[in-house]
Amino acid sequence: MDRTETQDEFYRKVAEEYGASLARMAYAYEADPDLRRDLSQEIHLALWRSFEKFIGRCSLRTWIYRVAHNVATSHIVRQTRGKRSGPAFLTLEEAGVQASGENVEISADRHQALAHLFALIQRLDPLDRQVILAYLEDLDAESIAEITGISVANVWTKIHRIKDVLVRQFHRGGRDGL
Amino acid sequence: MACDEMPDDLKILWKEAGTDRPVFSPDQLRQETEKMRARRRKSDVLGAAVMAFFVASYTIIFFFIPNNALTLAGSILSVLICGIWLLDILRKRARVAPDPGETDSVRFYRAELERSRDNHRTLVWRLALLAPPFILWDIGFARIFAKAAWFIEPLMWFDCVLLLAVFAVVLPLKQLKSMRKYQERIHTLDAAMRSEGR
Repeated sequence: MDRTETQDEFYRKVAEEYGASLARMAYAYEADPDLRRDLSQEIHLALWRSFEKFIGRCSLRTWIYRVAHNVATSHIVRQTRGKRSGPAFLTLEEAGVQASGENVEISADRHQALAHLFALIQRLDPLDRQVILAYLEDLDAESIAEITGISVANVWTKIHRIKDVLVRQFHRGGRDGL
Repeated sequence: MACDEMPDDLKILWKEAGTDRPVFSPDQLRQETEKMRARRRKSDVLGAAVMAFFVASYTIIFFFIPNNALTLAGSILSVLICGIWLLDILRKRARVAPDPGETDSVRFYRAELERSRDNHRTLVWRLALLAPPFILWDIGFARIFAKAAWFIEPLMWFDCVLLLAVFAVVLPLKQLKSMRKYQERIHTLDAAMRSEGR
């Protein structure tokens, strides 16, 4: 089997296994459906090309998320270029303040809750966004630290703050909090 | 250390999304790579065509229209500056972008912000540099043809003021504003990294 075949096979397996996760990631980075389709293609293209260089210095999962997040980050930096409106992203503190005003019940309308969750994530600073997304995809703190380049302790701090924001934003039907 | 403190409801909700995932085959991706290369070649050809147009225009002006020192200086400087622009664009293209697989997100994000900031920064001096040769040429042209028609001189002065306003004030200020926006984001990112002792 030559190198191209290996790269193609590798990509097929990864697209099969991580396709849904990558689609969610594209959704969290881009609200516009046409641009989202472009972003998805960019991510898949970058992944396929990256497998030429993958030599297993980190886990495959870390590699995939790192490539995908970095490509998505390039996309949003490009998209904010030339926009006149004020700060394009919210910090976790700002998201927390906004969250206290609008509360969504997960159990009442799952579609609405999901849209609300995506809308919140789409407005976050790229780094906070990466931590949230990796967290929601069940990555452990060490992997998140490896992907983002921030310390494990800082990942935990961010996770706790994210949880705080999410608890204020969402609640279960009939219960006070999560 | 698993991140198991996340509200389960939310994780379950999260996993419900992403069912309509786009599918790409390696062949499709290979074709897209080819398309990207073609687009890049096209933009190279377009850049070269614009340069050729400038050189041809000034050559015509040089040989077929009466010149004075100002129009000559304006023409030569315009061609030189366009040449510097082109070299600068090619040099920037040759620079290797950070590898998305090998670079962690913080460094990658910073590099992207720097790249955007530098794009705006170079546009400031590129635009500002283009104004003087155009103005020199306008003044020279007005001096040569002032007696040919009454409106040539005021028209050239109006053009000078317009060029100065657009190339040396309005556009550079806009670019500086965008440049500052990216610089502020870099400062914020650096401050966040410093606070965690990185």
